[in-house]
Amino acid sequence: MDWLEDELRQALRRKDPSPDFEARVMAAARRRPVLTMPRWLAAAAALLVITSAGLGYRYHRGQAAKAQVMTAMRLTGSKLSRIQMQIKAARP
Amino acid sequence: MTELETVVQPGCDFAALMREHRAMVFSVVYHFLHDRDTAEEIAQDVFLSLHRNLRAIQSAAHAGFWLRKVAVQRSIDASRKRMRRPQVALEDVAEPVARGVPADPMLGETLRRLIATLPETPRMVIVLRYQEDLDPTEIANLMAIPVSTVKSHLQRSLALLREKLVRRGVREE
Amino acid sequence: MRIVRTVTLACAVAAALWAQQLKLNLDHLAGKASDSVDVSLNNSMLQFAAKFLDGKDPDEAAVKRLIAGIDGIYIRSYEFKQDGAWSQADLDQVRNQLKAPDWSRILGIKSAEEGDSAEVHVCNQNGKITGVVILVTGAKEFTVANIVGAVSLESLADLGGHFGLPRLEQQKGTKKR
Repeated sequence: MDWLEDELRQALRRKDPSPDFEARVMAAARRRPVLTMPRWLAAAAALLVITSAGLGYRYHRGQAAKAQVMTAMRLTGSKLSRIQMQIKAARP
Repeated sequence: MTELETVVQPGCDFAALMREHRAMVFSVVYHFLHDRDTAEEIAQDVFLSLHRNLRAIQSAAHAGFWLRKVAVQRSIDASRKRMRRPQVALEDVAEPVARGVPADPMLGETLRRLIATLPETPRMVIVLRYQEDLDPTEIANLMAIPVSTVKSHLQRSLALLREKLVRRGVREE
Repeated sequence: MRIVRTVTLACAVAAALWAQQLKLNLDHLAGKASDSVDVSLNNSMLQFAAKFLDGKDPDEAAVKRLIAGIDGIYIRSYEFKQDGAWSQADLDQVRNQLKAPDWSRILGIKSAEEGDSAEVHVCNQNGKITGVVILVTGAKEFTVANIVGAVSLESLADLGGHFGLPRLEQQKGTKKR
């Protein structure tokens, strides 16, 4: 594997935030203000977020499922190919 | 590894999601902005967004996907709002210890600083590729840009980084 | 360093709806494996995945044609660094299920030198093939692949040229148990 890519993976390893990160987030979540925008606007914004997130997520799931199918077929194919080679080797 | 899909019930464990994904969210932002304090602020905002939109989350895997997408968006937004992009003059980059030394303890920091000098889009492509191990198609979907653009950014950024490192004597060609 | 590459996909549908033909209890092998593949794709997941297969790519187009008539693909494949990780009991667990009347072994080959063994079994119901099992074992390997549905050997053979799949030849004199 390319040395630079190895080094990049090392350099970009995940790091943890500060130890009190979670506590700060939880405290802020408890303090968050109530929405004052009109209900219809909040609903429309929520629908937009859900729809776009849902579409993107569907694509993500589809790609994951496709990858699994291709893995399955490659693995099956490689086993059958090996069987064929053994058959050919065994026959006169 | 593709994770097992589990249904996230309403009122799900937000704290557990935060524990699972905090390093990912923080690191995407940190490696993009190369500013720890700002990265913590933005990561906090990302999780607060998750808290507000918890009902939209369909599963644990969806939560991860959602968090990553929002972290990418908020990082790029923050970068655009900055008055000045983090410019690191090459002279300020720490000198490597010696030519030909296989393990350069400063190399990681050198690389992170060089990545911070890349334009936004290729910079995020590099972070998603080498921190998150996403393939070009996944990156394209996350950033809503063509796959060909992702591949082109990867190729050019790697060439640029390699050239800068070689010129600094970090690696010999 | 032990490298574990585990590819796992289990659909969110309850286990009762899985259409796999074999009941496999091989999870204990995953812990010993240096590389394991665990695929469980039922009909709905296959049809969902098919929508994302590119008809212009020869490999993906071939797979798309193949899975059109398939109800499920279930694979457990393990590779080990040491010999002796799997036992005869593991193999018998699979073979005993293939002794059911509907199953026929159409191919069997064994390499005495390398200790490898490979078998292909088909499930035949009312004159139609409703499943294929490929069982491959070696000193450092254990693989069971169950393709459920209207799989014909010809359709598997159509994948020749893709993933290195051969044109399968049936053993003369099909054995029935």
